[in-house]
Amino acid sequence: MANDTTKNRKAILVTPEACIGCRACQVACKSWNQLPAIKTTNNGTYQNPPDLASAAFNIIQYNEVPSQENPVRWLFVSRRCMHCEDAGCMTICPSGALYRTAEGAVAYDRDKCIGCKLCVTACPFDVPRYDAENKVAKCNLCDDRITAGMQPACVKTCPTGALKYGDRDELISLAKKDGFNTIYGEKDLSGLGTIFAFKDEPKLYGMKENPTIPSSVVFWHTYLKPLSLFGLGGVVAAAAIHYLAIGPHKEKEEEV
Amino acid sequence: MAEMVRKSSVDEILNHWILAGSCILLMITGFAFLFHWEAVSSVFGGVNGMKTVHNYGGVVFSLSLLYSMRHYFKDALEYDADDVQWFKVAGGYLSHKVTVPPMGKYNPGQKLYYLAIVGAGIAIALSGFALWFMKDNASMLLLAHLVHNIAFIVFVIAVPVHVYLGTLANPGTFKLMVSGTLPLSEAKRRYPKWMKAAGKM
Repeated sequence: MANDTTKNRKAILVTPEACIGCRACQVACKSWNQLPAIKTTNNGTYQNPPDLASAAFNIIQYNEVPSQENPVRWLFVSRRCMHCEDAGCMTICPSGALYRTAEGAVAYDRDKCIGCKLCVTACPFDVPRYDAENKVAKCNLCDDRITAGMQPACVKTCPTGALKYGDRDELISLAKKDGFNTIYGEKDLSGLGTIFAFKDEPKLYGMKENPTIPSSVVFWHTYLKPLSLFGLGGVVAAAAIHYLAIGPHKEKEEEV
Repeated sequence: MAEMVRKSSVDEILNHWILAGSCILLMITGFAFLFHWEAVSSVFGGVNGMKTVHNYGGVVFSLSLLYSMRHYFKDALEYDADDVQWFKVAGGYLSHKVTVPPMGKYNPGQKLYYLAIVGAGIAIALSGFALWFMKDNASMLLLAHLVHNIAFIVFVIAVPVHVYLGTLANPGTFKLMVSGTLPLSEAKRRYPKWMKAAGKM
């Protein structure tokens, strides 16, 4: 179900090892996208807001993973839409609101959203959110900024280089050269547009193992969608052939 | 003037066209959702307008489908030896030389068509309402999406067959869903067992 691989595909490379959890990315995102603050309560972690929201397109996940040497080890992961090449949300969207940008990001046309929430069910990463007007809301890789030659707001503000933006292939080879053996998202779902450079197991950072689009969505897209057109076309063709080859019903004259 | 027999009642004809109209509207808009046909959605002022039409069209279709059961459901469940024979000769549609057994008011093809529409119709209606009203239950939404689309396949295949058989393939049949009547002589020839049961032959 892969879409045409976008030439010059852009990506955000997240290097959790370099992240200091300052949340400047969260603030910059809100600032650029003009998102309101969310009132939250302390639930025993510095992670705030607790999850992605219609007014929080990115968050830093604070994973407390103590180790032998470091009993207070925090692992930070900056999380946002993964901009999958095989985007379940785009595949299932019945209105065409979700679309692929020239840079390979998964963006959305808010006016076209019909609020069906099917994208929520098809996303392997639990990303799409709905706002108060029942319209989809999520990271669009700052489409308005990157088409103007700028970086996404979160990347622009990141003080440590934990977020980098650029040519996807270049980012991957850069990370590998820097000794990061595991690039999360290099191959998953035909390649993610948000990729992560790890030295440890991605699982340790709370990354989802083997993300997949729900099998019913794959089945529907691969078989049912074409079958609906071929089914209709086949019946119309068969009817035309029947009419020409055999012809309509003829009344028999004899009484039954 | 020849004596006329009424095959379709007035409410049956009205309901048939409400069912048919809503069904075709739903199929066209359904295709437009599946394949993002903007030429269709723009007719409804955009995809949001099309959603509204599709949803309320579904309500009309559901009610009309339920109402149709009083006309056809009982007949559609009864089959006899002639019906078996009817299938053996493919209803006479594949050859004009075969002898088609005498039929009642409906042939078994029509009866099975009706059951398919009732079955797929109930499935597509229930899953449609789930898609509409149970958006926050992700697994229900996925299941409803799958069921809605499988039932749709039944419709895209069965409905055009029904349209062809009710018009071009059987000249004279169409008027049974317009005026609802046909001459007695014709009724005796086409529906002998029905006419016998009605005491007309």
